[in-house]
Amino acid sequence: MKEGFRQAMAWLHTWTGLIFGWLLFAIFLTGTLSYFKEEISHWTQPEVPVRALDAPASLALAQDYLQLHAPQAASWFIRLPDAREPGLSVSWREHGGGRRDFIDKTLDPATGAEIQARDTRGGEFFYRFHFQLEMPHPWGRWLATFAAFIMLVGLVTGIITHKKIFKEFFTFRPGKGQRSWLDGHNAIGVLVLPFHLMISYSSLVIFMAMVMPASIIASYGDDTRGFFNDLFGAPAEVRAAGVSAPLMPLPTLYAQVQAQSPGSRVGWIEVQTPGDQNARVRFSRHAGERIAHQRGGGWLFDGVNGTLQAQSSLEATPMLISGGMYGLHMGEFAGPWLRWLYFFFGLAGTAVIGTGLVMWLGKRQLKHAKRDAQPFELRLVEVLNIASMSGLVLGVAAFFWANRLLPVALAGRADWEIRWFFLLWALSLLHAMLRPGRRAWAEQLSLAAVLWAGLPLLNQLTTGQGLLQSIPAGDWAMAGFDLTALGSGLFLAWAAGKMWRTPVVSKRAAKPAKRACSTLIESEVG
Amino acid sequence: MLAVALFGFAGFAGLCLCMEKHYKELLGRAPTAGRLRTLQIGGWSLLLVALWLAVDHSGWAMGLVELVAVLMAGVTLWVFLLPYQPRLLLGLAALSLVLGPVLALLPG
Repeated sequence: MKEGFRQAMAWLHTWTGLIFGWLLFAIFLTGTLSYFKEEISHWTQPEVPVRALDAPASLALAQDYLQLHAPQAASWFIRLPDAREPGLSVSWREHGGGRRDFIDKTLDPATGAEIQARDTRGGEFFYRFHFQLEMPHPWGRWLATFAAFIMLVGLVTGIITHKKIFKEFFTFRPGKGQRSWLDGHNAIGVLVLPFHLMISYSSLVIFMAMVMPASIIASYGDDTRGFFNDLFGAPAEVRAAGVSAPLMPLPTLYAQVQAQSPGSRVGWIEVQTPGDQNARVRFSRHAGERIAHQRGGGWLFDGVNGTLQAQSSLEATPMLISGGMYGLHMGEFAGPWLRWLYFFFGLAGTAVIGTGLVMWLGKRQLKHAKRDAQPFELRLVEVLNIASMSGLVLGVAAFFWANRLLPVALAGRADWEIRWFFLLWALSLLHAMLRPGRRAWAEQLSLAAVLWAGLPLLNQLTTGQGLLQSIPAGDWAMAGFDLTALGSGLFLAWAAGKMWRTPVVSKRAAKPAKRACSTLIESEVG
Repeated sequence: MLAVALFGFAGFAGLCLCMEKHYKELLGRAPTAGRLRTLQIGGWSLLLVALWLAVDHSGWAMGLVELVAVLMAGVTLWVFLLPYQPRLLLGLAALSLVLGPVLALLPG
């Protein structure tokens, strides 16, 4: 009975892993990139200059700009620059505009001048892709959420299937073919398990209203907005009094926040009905301040006389749990060291999925090793493996090359970058269909290595902000991107090198490995 | 955070060495039962110290997150370097055992 249960779980692990592995690989890799969303956006818009941070001065400049260009707006939003994203961004909504009709501008935080940056979606593209998949509205989210659920299933069934979780906790045996792949798959899965569980569970929490609406509908009926208002605090819409009154200088209010809670960092500033008697100014905490994500928090001031209206503390336990899950998933609180760890754990999750896909195929190919042609379904999986893994890596590189090579004035430029991303991805699928498996891997990984390692050079040649300038200037967001691209290129070159070599070494190891594999297949229920 | 990482790394090294298979592979001789027991208790104690340091430094929420992060990173490094650089890892574990307390006791 117990063995039967374990076999059933192994079957579930194997097949859901295969069907959703390709999609999950893409979600994990682009999600991992999103931990450096701001840095990627900075790299993709080199026109935005890096200045010394001075919050009050930037606030004053933003206020002047908005006063001049949007005095009649319904509300203003200001995002202060930080070490990760240097631009001062302002946006506003005109009266009568919809909830999402915003006009966005990026300002130089030292002069207040408007910056004409190239049209790109930058890091936002990968972030959106990892849960919307570039599909029309509800479908991408549904599919991504279902994939997250499958990931959770995969983790649980994987733990049940893995018989020697403690006995082989520290075990990794390289150079033994399938055995090594399985060791690696298990080790990364088990050792980084807290991260994997947190990521897949929290993605379900983030979309809980979509995934499990029953409890919400039972209490709120069709009024789902009422649920969110209760949860996150109603977006206290103030009505304009119709009497104009000058807005307090924002730096003065900022000084009040600093006096209240010294050293606290401010992320967003929202001004409702600026220039009116009823103006309200909300300073919200910088996301780096705490783990639990908080909406509608911060300090709320009367914009005309400067009295503090409310200092929110939404600290109900369910809120803290859901906000905590959200915060843990996004990792916005993480400083540089923790952020890098997040990035590597994300890569580890990607690697678990990748090794799983490789093993599924490897095991079955062994059975057909003596025959010339492999069955159609194995060839199909092989092609999809290549296209979904090395193809995606190529696509991401293509996005960044397009960002530097497309003319700045091109109409619909941001869309063209995305087209390059998908074009190279599609070409890699075509290439994988035309070439034999191992050669296809080798060629695609080699091209990917060249493209990634070439990014710093491309940046140096096309902008004045390559490594030669960014390191002396201390612009570590820019330099970090270039160095990481170089590092990825070297890693891909190493992987390509392994693929170019015909497996001579494995001849020696083939015999014991083969025996190990056949026992593996029997014990694992392929 | 570095002190937490070092204590955690040394702790996992102890837990790895307390398994007879790994002890033999790494140190090249058979361990006594008492030696294994000592390593096991030592390993868990080091992890507890890491937990205490993390929570004391950053509070429960942030401390636990940081602790889990550095533990996962440390043990992954340990497992994947083990077949290639066992001597280096033993050296690193010894070094963290020395450097960890020094960093923890330093003011600030």
